[in-house]
Amino acid sequence: MTLRSVNLPGVGTKYEFTTEKGDTVALFFTKTGTIQMYTLQGGCHTPSAAEMTPMEARRLGNILTGAIIEAESESVEVAFSAIADLRITIHTYVIPGDLAGKTIEDLQIRTKTGVTVIAVSRDEKNIINPPPSFVFKAGDGLVVIGETDQLKKFEREVMVD
Amino acid sequence: MEGIVLALFVCLVLALITKYLSIPPIPFYIIGGVLLGQSGLGLVESNEISHFLSQMGLIFLLFFMGLGLRLDRIAANRSAVFTSGFLDLNINMLIGFLAAYLFGFSIIESVIIAAAFYISSTAMAITSLIDNRKLMMREAETIIWLMVFEDLVLIIFLAIISAGDQNPIIFLIKIAGVLLILYLVAHYGKEFLVSILDRSDELPILFTFGAVLTTASFSMYIGVPETMMVIALGAALATTDPDAFEAHARPFKDVFLVVFFVFFGITINLAGGIDYFMIGAISLLAILSKLISGILTGIFIHDSAYSGIEIWGNTIGRGEFSIALAALYGSPPVATVIASMVIVTSIVGAFTAKYTGRFRRWMASPGRRAPHRHGH
Repeated sequence: MTLRSVNLPGVGTKYEFTTEKGDTVALFFTKTGTIQMYTLQGGCHTPSAAEMTPMEARRLGNILTGAIIEAESESVEVAFSAIADLRITIHTYVIPGDLAGKTIEDLQIRTKTGVTVIAVSRDEKNIINPPPSFVFKAGDGLVVIGETDQLKKFEREVMVD
Repeated sequence: MEGIVLALFVCLVLALITKYLSIPPIPFYIIGGVLLGQSGLGLVESNEISHFLSQMGLIFLLFFMGLGLRLDRIAANRSAVFTSGFLDLNINMLIGFLAAYLFGFSIIESVIIAAAFYISSTAMAITSLIDNRKLMMREAETIIWLMVFEDLVLIIFLAIISAGDQNPIIFLIKIAGVLLILYLVAHYGKEFLVSILDRSDELPILFTFGAVLTTASFSMYIGVPETMMVIALGAALATTDPDAFEAHARPFKDVFLVVFFVFFGITINLAGGIDYFMIGAISLLAILSKLISGILTGIFIHDSAYSGIEIWGNTIGRGEFSIALAALYGSPPVATVIASMVIVTSIVGAFTAKYTGRFRRWMASPGRRAPHRHGH
């Protein structure tokens, strides 16, 4: 597979490659900020196209580089090739109103379920590695890391509390 | 002042509508201007302020053109650029000139009309390729390079026509001198320029605006027109960080160019009456001659007349550069012809760009042609 890149005056940058099976994929980073992806099946005349925002393109990139995204929208399972059988899932949740005012310690998140809250997003700000004394507010976005089973337990025992 | 505000408000509404319908806004700004101005309701008159703002629009349009002028890239694509470029130039200039001359325009007027007739709208062609998801087509690159070639021709054309009564050799030496000085400034001041552009305060945008205006105002002292000065500035700055300059100059270009288009419409003088037959004939010829040059380009470059139809469909629209020529050098009747041609071709072009793909698929439906690969 050889990747060709061309700078098209007034349009932006084009990346194109042909796969082993003879299909062609072309990507255009346009000056308007959108990204267009074209795929053309070998032997066909008309490509199909998708236009993406930079955000959508990054998510697509994440999927393609091997992070497995579960059907539920905001969950990523990471597998490390160097360590056999280690699969970690990172999941996001939103704190419901009835958990507001409680701390991570109050909810005994780690002792009860084994998962760890690694970040909280509140009003466009991110708090990385919140301490046990951290007080939740309704609407906080949580990033939680753990094994799939532990996350299930977290959903059953903490989130519905 | 109220006039400018009213004109801008009308343009804002038109911009919203045309973006919503995804059709090019330029013809509607001009029509809006005609309706508001001396040939329409007479609500808005051009004055010193509007003239200055229009001038800014033109200057920033040309500065942008200069920024896009990367001679190294053009040199790298010589064969593709020149074959299609020369076909397009010769056919359209010739048909445009003959049409205008036979309708009774003077030789100079016919040359201006021919140039406006020849030059397609880069903005419309590129927007149409992106919006209609046509970037992957092999014809897309041909179209993009065709636009670059047309820009080059326009610059040479502006240089020749703006020499006026001056000795052409001295005039050329002056332009070369300006270019050399600007290139040297860009070359030796590159680090300084980049350090300014990297700042996050008001300095980059102030610097860009100031540099364009200062360069334009120097034209008074050395007898090189401001059009050439700002193109040269753009070309020189393109060797530093063209993307940053584009980003900082874009707001000025976007706003002032709209003022330029609407006031072009406002100052159109229809007092001499409109020769509908002539306007219709020239507009129709403008569409047909691009069909001829498009099909020939398709046959020469892609071995396919259908490719030519695709090229035609995306390059019919005449736009910003044609209007610029009319505003710079057109007498009132010439400006009227060019404005009508821009309005007709850009509206027709918006539709052809949408439907040529469908037409082509229908023509090339299975069995009609051997399959071929896109791309390169």
